[in-house]
Amino acid sequence: MNLAVVVETLPYLLRGTLWTVTIAVAVIVVGTAAGVLLGLSRFVPWRGLPTLVGWIVELVRAVPLLLLLFFIFFGLPALGLKIPTFPAAVLAMSLWMAVNTSEVVRGGIQSIPHGQFEAARSIGLNEIQTMTSVIFPQAMRRMIPPFVGLCTILIKDTSLAAIIGVFELTRAAQETIERTFRSFEIYLTAAAIYFVICLPLTRFAQRTEARLGRP
Amino acid sequence: MTAYSFEWSAVLRGLPYLLEGAGLTILISGVAMVLALVLGLALAAISQASGRLARSVVAAYVEIFRNTPLLIQIFIVYFGLPQLGLKLSPFLSGLSALVLYAAAYNTEIFRAGLEAVPHGQFEAARSAGLSERQMLRYVIVPQAVRISFPALGNNLVSLVKNSSLVSTIGMVELMFVANDISFNNFRTFEIYGAAAAMYVVIVLALTRLLHAAEGRLLRAPA
Repeated sequence: MNLAVVVETLPYLLRGTLWTVTIAVAVIVVGTAAGVLLGLSRFVPWRGLPTLVGWIVELVRAVPLLLLLFFIFFGLPALGLKIPTFPAAVLAMSLWMAVNTSEVVRGGIQSIPHGQFEAARSIGLNEIQTMTSVIFPQAMRRMIPPFVGLCTILIKDTSLAAIIGVFELTRAAQETIERTFRSFEIYLTAAAIYFVICLPLTRFAQRTEARLGRP
Repeated sequence: MTAYSFEWSAVLRGLPYLLEGAGLTILISGVAMVLALVLGLALAAISQASGRLARSVVAAYVEIFRNTPLLIQIFIVYFGLPQLGLKLSPFLSGLSALVLYAAAYNTEIFRAGLEAVPHGQFEAARSAGLSERQMLRYVIVPQAVRISFPALGNNLVSLVKNSSLVSTIGMVELMFVANDISFNNFRTFEIYGAAAAMYVVIVLALTRLLHAAEGRLLRAPA
């Protein structure tokens, strides 16, 4: 173990961390917005759309994120659609985030007892009002733990961006190792940084989940 | 946009290799899951039965492996450990990283499963004169496994998808084969598309299978 190497390279790793956080925030914003729309579209009365969206979500969710990333970064240029590394990573991860968030939204809405829908309709709310002022606020509470869990997985998975050469924490670690050859210490430090970011989120998800059991 | 002519014959030529890769993905995931189930159940039992120290060690393992990227864990095993004198092949590195990662989740799932067994079941088993061992073997663990089954199934599905990461250290499976073929013939779109289709078939078949098994498990008498 060589702790001097860790101290010396820490600033560079933290610069990578800044990009990890940037990617994660961008993906959470784009992916969640798209995911909520996809999730809600499972409940529209238009024939066919919920089924179609359900199929697409199931298909995309079955594909590993690494393959989505390679498909977008290496596969789409074959069609003349060349996307640089950073947007390609954000796009692939947003797609992943969107389909998974849509399942969280669907699950949250389906967990609301049917009587709530009927009660809302019987006091004269229309379908949109029922959704926005009765169902969604209740469902939100149940969506928070799995959604935060999803964000944690996403933060860990932003490391895959390094494979196509995006500069973030894992890439910063790789570059540092190419220079210092201290792979054990540097990767361990990178792991520790991910841990410090992810653990509070995991704890928060566990606490909110436990609180759901109580009224 | 430039005109692109698809060449699906590239997929046809690569198909035997891709199928072999898909087989390896299934095999690797299966072996890793069996090992991760054993390790997870053992650790959950240890943290349930032993003292504070053992419980803290298990909890630390679970938190560390669940809150750091699998990719970094794979890199630590494959690139980091040789620095300490422990050099493993890509296969063993990839497999052990996948096992340790999946086992951390399984430990947590089994722990929650054991805790979800109602307290009365323990008391009933004891008052029926069962020993600690018999109680766990015949009363508690069967119920805990049943409670844990859906979450374990989800973890297996994640494992199949996560196994694609070991391609980065040269362990041969579906993702590795897809990279290998498409970097040689440049038919990236077709080959990655075909590989994606194979993952979809594996994952959907597995999901249906787990769902059917879950239905049978819930109907079966205790």
